[in-house]
Amino acid sequence: MNHVIETHNLTRRFGKTGAVDNLTLAVPQGSIYAFLGPNGAGKTTTIKMLLNILRPTAGAASVLGVDSTRLGPSEFARIGYVSENQKLPEWMTVAQLIEYCRPMYPDWDKAFCEKLRGQFDLPPDRKLKNLSRGMKVKAALLVSLAYRPRLLVLDEPFTGLDPLVRDEFIRGILELSDEGNWTVFISSHDIDEVERLADWVGIINCGRLTLAESAAALQARFRRIECVVSETARLPASLPPSWLVPEIAGHSVCVVESLYQAGSSEARVREMLPDAGQITATPLSLRDIFLVLARTYRLNNPSESQS
Amino acid sequence: MCPMITSTHMLPFQLQFKSGLPAYEQVVYSVKKAIIAGALKPGDRFPSVRVLSQELRINPNTAHKVVAALVNERLLDVKPGIGTLVADARPSTREQRRELLGDDVERVVVEAKQLQLDIEDVMQAVQQHWSRLS
Repeated sequence: MNHVIETHNLTRRFGKTGAVDNLTLAVPQGSIYAFLGPNGAGKTTTIKMLLNILRPTAGAASVLGVDSTRLGPSEFARIGYVSENQKLPEWMTVAQLIEYCRPMYPDWDKAFCEKLRGQFDLPPDRKLKNLSRGMKVKAALLVSLAYRPRLLVLDEPFTGLDPLVRDEFIRGILELSDEGNWTVFISSHDIDEVERLADWVGIINCGRLTLAESAAALQARFRRIECVVSETARLPASLPPSWLVPEIAGHSVCVVESLYQAGSSEARVREMLPDAGQITATPLSLRDIFLVLARTYRLNNPSESQS
Repeated sequence: MCPMITSTHMLPFQLQFKSGLPAYEQVVYSVKKAIIAGALKPGDRFPSVRVLSQELRINPNTAHKVVAALVNERLLDVKPGIGTLVADARPSTREQRRELLGDDVERVVVEAKQLQLDIEDVMQAVQQHWSRLS
């Protein structure tokens, strides 16, 4: 499989503080890759290293097949980048911004740019400083899409956007889906924003990658297993490590099996809970899987649970 | 100045995403429902993968999977040079058509048992929906 982004033990420290720690990930070509993690997990630092804005302390990254520290104009002409704190030349009008950006990109598509501008409802003669936050983000996206980049990198693009603007934004991203070899890398602290968009998920926590998998593979191996037990039943002290967030309430037991296999997973439940009846296994949405994982990581992080 | 009105292609079926179920299953289900209810008729044009993805704000690969599954179940026909149309060839036997329901019925039964309902409750609910859509 072709990878548009690859990192190997990518590390960045600020003084003694480690922001990104030995991050190894691969983003397949053609995917919409959701890079998820809580605020402060290292998402922005990672993205800045990918785009040669920050130097890695150790390790390496390659983007579009080029070492990230050697990225130059010919690569940046094929990468679109919108960040949460995008700086725009505020004194320009929307039309001036477009004219300012256009010469930098040989593949600039004027007609496409005009179509997007209409869709985004951006008045050409309005100064950027007079635009709302949502309009500014749309303007930033507009000038990052108009040259049909092969790779679109979005750093927390939805923060502070109202649902309507968020919807327009997503619609805009999907305008690029005609391109055959089109890849999106999108960071977010909120799975809800990208749940139906992503087909790959990477989760970063405290600078470390805790999971990287296709959405299809995740949904295939996660099942919520529920069963009915007698009221006096107790969960055994030692449960299989693949059982996440086990709960018992009255007559019912609920666990999330993270390595589900039809048949053998149910047999395992009967082994652990001999009086279990009516065992059901239901698939989880990406969102529910993320929430289960988030709870599990927190529970297993002693430094946080003590505070 | 007068704001431009962004054009949206209307999809020929209705869908309100619910959290909890994979998007793929929800889209396939909505299309099947539209075909059975007659909102989508044989010969009707079905949206392309691109339009489906853009209008539903879903991953293009998911949209592709949806179309492939519906073509595979012979609910859609790909006509080269024309596009994707709603198929008129129905699965030949009643038995085959009944098989199409298998997964959905299983899900209803599982749900009903979890809610501690009995078969009469389920039958009554089925009856209600049946008359509503007839």
